[in-house]
Amino acid sequence: MIKVEGLSKRYHDNIVLENVDLEINEGDVIGIIGPSGTGKSTLLRCIDQLEIPEKGSINLGERDVDLSRKNRKDINEIRQNTGMVFQRFNLFEKKTALENVMEGLIVVKKMNKEEAKKIALEELAKVGMTAWANHYPKHMSGGQQQRVAIARALAMKPRLLLLDEPTSALDPELVGEVLDVVKDIASKGYTMLLVSHEMNFVRNVSNRVIFLDKGHIVEDGTPNEVFEHPKNQRTKEFFAKMNLMNQPDYII
Amino acid sequence: MATLFDFKLVFSQIPELLKYLPITLELSIISMVLGIVLGLILAIVKIREIPVLKQIATFYISLIRGTPILVQLYIAYFGIPMFFKWLSIRNGTEYQPADISGFVYAVIALGINTSAFNAEIIRAALLSVGEGQIEAASALGMTYLQTLRRIILPEAITVALPSLGNSFISVIKGTSLAFTCAVVEMTAQGKILGGRNYRYFEVYVSLAIIYWAITIIIEQALKYFEKKLAIPEQVANYVPESEEKA
Repeated sequence: MIKVEGLSKRYHDNIVLENVDLEINEGDVIGIIGPSGTGKSTLLRCIDQLEIPEKGSINLGERDVDLSRKNRKDINEIRQNTGMVFQRFNLFEKKTALENVMEGLIVVKKMNKEEAKKIALEELAKVGMTAWANHYPKHMSGGQQQRVAIARALAMKPRLLLLDEPTSALDPELVGEVLDVVKDIASKGYTMLLVSHEMNFVRNVSNRVIFLDKGHIVEDGTPNEVFEHPKNQRTKEFFAKMNLMNQPDYII
Repeated sequence: MATLFDFKLVFSQIPELLKYLPITLELSIISMVLGIVLGLILAIVKIREIPVLKQIATFYISLIRGTPILVQLYIAYFGIPMFFKWLSIRNGTEYQPADISGFVYAVIALGINTSAFNAEIIRAALLSVGEGQIEAASALGMTYLQTLRRIILPEAITVALPSLGNSFISVIKGTSLAFTCAVVEMTAQGKILGGRNYRYFEVYVSLAIIYWAITIIIEQALKYFEKKLAIPEQVANYVPESEEKA
């Protein structure tokens, strides 16, 4: 079990997250949804200490780690246990797909090149990018880059995979291939936090859905509970808007 | 009657001048290495906004860029021995700064001079590497130094290379002022040759030709390295070894 407790983050006067508590069971695929600017991405980024929250802790099983303090040892522990997939892929531009996946294994896990290459090729195979191993990011489509980025995160064998809107920077026709990969790894028992605007996908792939509004978790349940029987007024309004937009004859 | 312009001499004395080319190149390369190392440190101090050091770096860059290199060379030549003398008096030692060769003063002055310019070049190049890649490296668990060495620098070098090349060319030309520190490099040797036969104009034309040729060679070398460092346009698909054999 991974526990996040009392996570609060503000930018100047703007409160983004307020006292967020979250318990994540092994194998959970938690979809995080909600309106823009409600702290969904910030939640993931604070868990990974890419943003430093004012307050909050994480327990990865053994002890509470204070997220508000930048301590090299704690940061190492957190980052060795979590993997991050970014909206804009963030592949290393001067490295091939293979080298991108090998990088963390060599530098952080201190593997030798042979070992790292073997694992990296396995991970690339999982996302269907083996043939592209020697290619550089600039030669790949967004969808392909994101698949490599997922392989890069998975290669580190994270206990918790954080996916921050993995498809929202993609052209519509490329969304499918990335969602297929995410679905595939979700079915393999990875523990995941998935921020996404693809409602149908979230509903399909998650076993638990969280609705964030103004820095609070206002809804937390199975996809069916949250999508079919939302308790909160804000959630209802949000889905109403979404449904309106999904109607085929909706005209702006 | 002696000729007004001895055309032949311009070329015939080039070998005599080239004997001092190694000194010019040594001066340039050592100064440039010093200038890059210092420049990198200054750039990182500015980017990471390290308090106090950042203000010092800004002051240093402004001061060095705002004063002529000739003045800096003289200051190094007269100032550094004074500093050592002061140290010697303070500590009661018998150290003689005259033992230090002018070469060292020239390297220090040229290195410091170019470091201020390099700092800005390197800073801009480091900043050109996308924040996303740095975050991705952090998320993998890499430290800043690991990220700098493995992710930021390899990409920044491609960006900085043309400007650093220009900076190196400036250093080479700057070495022609090293006579101020009593270093006999190519230009100083030219002056000596000119003093022998009073053919000053010819010797400076010879020097101009040599410096120009060096610059052209360096520009070509830079083009070659830029090409080598660039991401290849076409890459073949990866074929696993097991399939290769089959």
